This record gives sequence, structure tokens and C-alpha cells, in this order.
Amino acid sequence: MKIRAQIGMVLNLDKCIGCHTCSVTCKNVWTSREGMEYAWFNNVETKPGVGFPKEWENQDKWNGGWHRKSNGKIHPKQGGRWRILAKIFGNPDMPEIDDYYEPFTFDYDHLQNAKESKAQPTARPRSLISGKRMDKIKWGPNWEEILGTEFEHRRKDYNFKDMEEEMYGEFENTFMMYLPRLCEHCLNPTCVASCPSGSIYKREEDGVVLIDQDKCRGWRMCVSGCPYKKIYYNWKSGKAEKCTLCYPRLENGEPTVCSETCVGRIRYLGVMLYDADRIEEAASVSNEEDLYEAQCDIFLDPHDPKVIAQARADGIPENWITGAQESPIYKMTMEWKVALPLHPEYRTLPMVWYIPPLSPIQNAVESGKLPLAKNGIMPDLDKMRIPVKYLANLLTAGKEEPVKRALKRMMAMRAYMRGVLIEGGPDKSILDEVGLTEDLVKDMYKIMALANYEDRYVIPTGHREETIDAYGESGSCGFSFGNGCSSHSNSDFDLFENPKSWRGRSASGKDNRVNTLFTQGKTSNSGGSSGGCCGGCS
Amino acid sequence: MTGRDHTHLAKPKEDEKIRFRDIQAQPRKIISSPTWSGIESEEVCYNAGYTNVHEYIPWRTLTGRQQLYQDHPWMLDFGEGLVSYRPPINTATVQSMLEKHGDETPTIVLNWITPHQKWGIHSTYSDNLHMLTLSRGGPIVWMSEPDAKSVDIKDNDWVEVFNTNGAIMARVVVSQRVNDGMMMMYHAQEKIVNTPGSKITNARGGIHNSVTRTTVKPTHMIGAYAQQSYGFNYYGTVGSNRDEFVIVRKVEDQDIDWMEGPIEDVEAAE
Repeated sequence: MKIRAQIGMVLNLDKCIGCHTCSVTCKNVWTSREGMEYAWFNNVETKPGVGFPKEWENQDKWNGGWHRKSNGKIHPKQGGRWRILAKIFGNPDMPEIDDYYEPFTFDYDHLQNAKESKAQPTARPRSLISGKRMDKIKWGPNWEEILGTEFEHRRKDYNFKDMEEEMYGEFENTFMMYLPRLCEHCLNPTCVASCPSGSIYKREEDGVVLIDQDKCRGWRMCVSGCPYKKIYYNWKSGKAEKCTLCYPRLENGEPTVCSETCVGRIRYLGVMLYDADRIEEAASVSNEEDLYEAQCDIFLDPHDPKVIAQARADGIPENWITGAQESPIYKMTMEWKVALPLHPEYRTLPMVWYIPPLSPIQNAVESGKLPLAKNGIMPDLDKMRIPVKYLANLLTAGKEEPVKRALKRMMAMRAYMRGVLIEGGPDKSILDEVGLTEDLVKDMYKIMALANYEDRYVIPTGHREETIDAYGESGSCGFSFGNGCSSHSNSDFDLFENPKSWRGRSASGKDNRVNTLFTQGKTSNSGGSSGGCCGGCS
Repeated sequence: MTGRDHTHLAKPKEDEKIRFRDIQAQPRKIISSPTWSGIESEEVCYNAGYTNVHEYIPWRTLTGRQQLYQDHPWMLDFGEGLVSYRPPINTATVQSMLEKHGDETPTIVLNWITPHQKWGIHSTYSDNLHMLTLSRGGPIVWMSEPDAKSVDIKDNDWVEVFNTNGAIMARVVVSQRVNDGMMMMYHAQEKIVNTPGSKITNARGGIHNSVTRTTVKPTHMIGAYAQQSYGFNYYGTVGSNRDEFVIVRKVEDQDIDWMEGPIEDVEAAE
């Protein structure tokens, strides 16, 4: 047993209102830069839909994630080391800009500078890639917002697998949910395995997956290797970038920007201890439906004295062991079993998990009462508006039991607490039916329903001093793109010429409140605090 | 119970100042004020009716309590003593336009719905680049799949939405969540961004209220009657829009007119 610790995240989809505050704050902090206009380290999708980039979940199309061979070994689906090298100059699995969208801005200056014309002026769109006029915007990072576009397009959603999706295109059977997505900071990341330059690494102390901007040579095998399509190629620097789990914040015990700003309080962060020796074994189980349980099996009980002793021996700091014991992530994934991984069938052992959303019971109005399952108090889950099978395809490789257990436990929590707080008194029989105790459900209520800040984020401060030799860092700069302390935010390595003058700037050259989102280095990016790793990593 | 002192509600904020640069940076919380029934504090989120319940301030109604039933004679005469449903009426805005433009391209008449946007309230400016990128980069209207199919409209097509009141140019979002017979346009989308000209009005696009008309509602003219007394920005004869119908037709991409030509010399034209 080799114990490692990781900061994991859980998102409670039952509470997500699709406000995109996470996406906007993340973009403001991390990707409002030239070369990254199209990149959203965090995005929110309306499901069912093909998502961003288009059909990212369909690995028959993209070949992301891992493939299990008949001999039981796994290798990246896009090919092993030699296969990757063979197609290094022509990768057939690479998404193109139209699979994301062509980023745009508007000719805001025209509103101020237009000559007298027969109609009042309007700001027309302009490509942020070519700088040319765009006649029509054809796609965006959230094109399917609240079920936009015809069902015949959205039905390509991979999560309709083994379902008769036709009926869900009818007005009466419409269902939807939001899915906020970010890098999964996997235990078994395909991006790391795919990189020909060895530039991607998983930090030992907190599990954050980062790209060393010094080592990255822009081959982009990570972009195709990642089944979640959460690595983005910066066309300006010629390097790949990804979600950093806001590690500079985590190291100081603060939640990520997306979590901190979440209006619905749906996000949770906490420590998970796992057995690093059993990663390959867990990722290689033969039946995809068993991958969820296999991943649970390598999570370790932070209250077990043997685990604690081994964790100390493996160099896990004391405050991280305490953090693991109080972790909301451990409670949700292991104790209450309400959180589930996103697409475990990719075999990457993802570490951002989701609590499935409850939805209205479909024919409750017709029948005048909630339909109850046989011999039970709980409503019949098969009558929920969001089909259980759909959620199972999203979260458990199609296995319905774990999804049902999670939904039932959430319903039981509501029913029980309603009895306690409003009417009827506490009814323990509801809890017995779903395998919960009164103590557990009260803890669930505190953390999931009340969701106070200190209960959502249990983040022990980092111990960088134990990871790197800090003496050599003395007198160096803070965060950079690995280009020392120069004032430019982007690497010296630049495939392209100087930016054209139109890009994101007002013609007047003054500070322009209308369009400051994609300004050049001098103004908004002077600190150069974005991107992959800190200056001292290499 | 009367004559209670409420200054403690504002006391904790007596040193607070809000300067222009503050509100430029982000919205700021205001100080509790007698105008509003909620309070601003560290303990309680703003919620309407808070001071009525916790500070024993009577509701500003005839009875001093929350009132649903309106007993004013005018309200009773109009049959609106309680909340009531009023079916759409013929506002005579569609037929004459159909006769004029109905044969040019396939058209469909739809009930016009202008729901509150999801992205902001009051003066929140939501048409910035991020929010437009997370939407569709310009004004959009929503219609159902069967309605769209019936007039050969596909998702992201340009459409002209018009009646005798005016016209709107926008792109259409075709969605299964929209009921047949209706078209939605979330309010507060600006025509300063990505809005072409309309052939009908020969002017730029239009906004959600370009196809509606303000009508004065007689019952809003009740005055000097407790909660139905005039108060600036509070209560009075506001513009109330009746259900409206619009004509919708597709505009081919190549027929889009951005109307950026120079202003025509009016005298020369005469």
C-alpha cells in the first residue's frame, strides 16, 4: 500500500441552476487572454445535448481515455507510445476550432465612431482568430443553453446509449439538467500518458494535474487523449493549457474560483486518501459497470488506524490526515454514496464527482398522488422526469443501482427532515428503507442542504516546502509561463506574429469599458499569473 | 405598537459610503431604508416583508395586512377583486400586415411572450462579451420545433418578427421546450449588437417591445385608496401590455441588410 492524498471535488447537480457564474469567474481569472479565447476551463452544459466541444463524450469519435485489451492491460485509446509518435504530425483525433466554436468579439468601436447612417449603428461580430468579419455566428460554448437547437441534433448525446431517445424529443417528455464541467484531475490521467514530451504531471502532494509550460512542445496529444476534452491548445503560445484546480488558492486553504463563486453552493472540496499501488488494477477491471466500485475500493478510510499509520509513513502531513477525516468528499462518495464519478468507463479514475439531480415524478398530477414503488414509501424512480438510465450512462457506465441508491437517499433525507422540521415527526422507517441512520441523515442535511462554507470546503493548507527545495526559489518571481520574470504573460515561444491592432482594443486606445475582456498584455495581463505551472517547477 | 424606533436597522452602516468608483467595480449593497420592506445586514439576506414581520411595521395596505382581495368598486366592476385570467384579445395588429406581406414568404402567426431574462435584473447589463458568448452572440427569439418546421425555419436562421406595431430582426432558437403557438423573446436584449435591418420598418432590428404597444389599464388609475395610491416608481398607471400576436417569417442569410449605408439626403429625395 502506498498512500497518496488528493483534493477531490463533488458537484451537487440537484442544486445547479445553470447560472454560469463558475464559467465566467474562471474565464475572467484564467483564460481571458489571446490564444485562449475559445477555452473554458470550466463550462456548464445543458443536457441532453452534444456539449462543448461537440460530442466530447463520444469516444468512438474522439478516441480519448483508455482502452482495455483482451489481455487485461490498458493503453490510451488513441494508441500507445509508438502509435502516438507515428501520428505526431497528423493526429486524426484532434478536435478543430469548429468543434469548439470560432471565438468572436464585436465592433464596439463602430458604435462610437460610425458616421451618420440611415439606421442607427450596430456592432457586428468579428472573429478573434482571423480578425475578419463574421457574417453569422454559428456555434458557441453554450449553444444548447436550456435545450436550444432541434432534438434531432441534441439526440446525438452519448448518454442516450441503449435508450429509446425518440420519445424524449416530445414536448410532454422533455427533461433537462445542467452539467458543470472542469478538469477531472484523474488518478489515471490519459493526458499524462499521452504526452510525448513528458510535460504533464500529477502533483504528488495534492493530485492536481498540471502542464509544465517549459517542457510542453505543443504536440497536443493530451488534447486528443483527454476524454473530457479539458485540455486546450493556446494558439498564441503554441502550448497546451488546462484547469489548475486554482492550486495557488488551494495551497493557501482557499477553494477554487469556481467553487468560491458558486451561487447555488453546489461545490464541495476535500481530501481523499487512496492507494496509489492499486490504480492500474482499479482502472483495468473487465466490466465497465464495475469501474465505479473499483475506484471506491482504492479510496481509504481516513479513520482506520492502519491507514493513518501508513499515511504518516508515506509522508502525508498531519493536517491532511485530519482534512481527510473531515472531508465532505469522503462522506458523499464513501459514507453516503450519493456522489458518483463522471463517465468512469473512460478508465481515467476521475476525481470530480457528481450528485445526480432529483426531478419531478412525471404522472404525479394525473394520478393525484405520487406513484409508489412496490411495498415502499419511496416514489417509483422509473417515473422520474430525468430517466435513471440517462443518469447512469452519465455517472456509472450504465449501472442503474448506484444512481437509484443516491436518488433514494436524497429523497429520504428530504422526507425525514420534513418530518422533523415541519410536520409528522421523524419517521425512521424511511431511513431504514434506504440504509441510512438518523445521525448520518442529519450530517447529510447539514452538509448538503444547509451547505455552510466551512462544511463545503475542508482544504488543508499545502506544504510546498516539503515538495520542492525552497532555497533555490529565493529571490525568484512568482507565477509565470516559465519564462522567468519577464513582463509578458505569454511564453517567448510564439508561433505567430504580433497581434493585430484590432484585437479586443478600442481604436481610441483609451481604457475602454466596453471591451476589456481580451486586451493585450500591457493592461490586464501584466502580472502574467496565468497558465500551467509556477516558474520553479522545472 | 406605534411609534417604534427603527434606527437600529441603519446604524451598523452609518459610516458606509458608496462612491462612483465602487459601483463601477461591482454592485454594492445599499443601507436599510424605509422605502423597502427588506433589510441589509450581515445576518439576514434581503427579503421582502422582513420589516413588516420582525419590526412590526404594518403593510402599506388598507388593512395593514397582506391583501389579495381588492375591494375597490372599480376593481369589483372589472371583475378583478381577485386574481383573474384574461384571454388574449384581438388587438388588430396582425390581419392588415398579413394581407400586405403574407404572400411573400411562408409566415406563421404566434403568441408573443417576453419573459424575464435569466441573466440579470433591473439595470444589470448582461449584453457584455462573456454573456453574449455564453448565449448566441446577439438577439434571439425562441420557437417550437413543429412551428419552425411548418415554415421551413431551422435553428439559428434569421427571422423577421412583425405586426402593425413594429418589427424585430433576430436569430431563432428552435427548442423542444417551447410550446406550439408561442414565440418567446427574453427581455433586455440590445439592438446595438449584431442586429440587422428590417425590410418592414426600414430601420434597425428592434427589441422585444417593438411589436407590443402600451395600453393604459383603467384599474391602474384608481388613486387615493391606500395601497392603490400613486407613488413614484412604486404604483400608478404603468404601461401594461396585452397579449400580442406576431407574424414570423424566415430571412435568408444573403438577404440580410445591415443598413450601414450613408444617410440619404432628405432634400434631394424631395
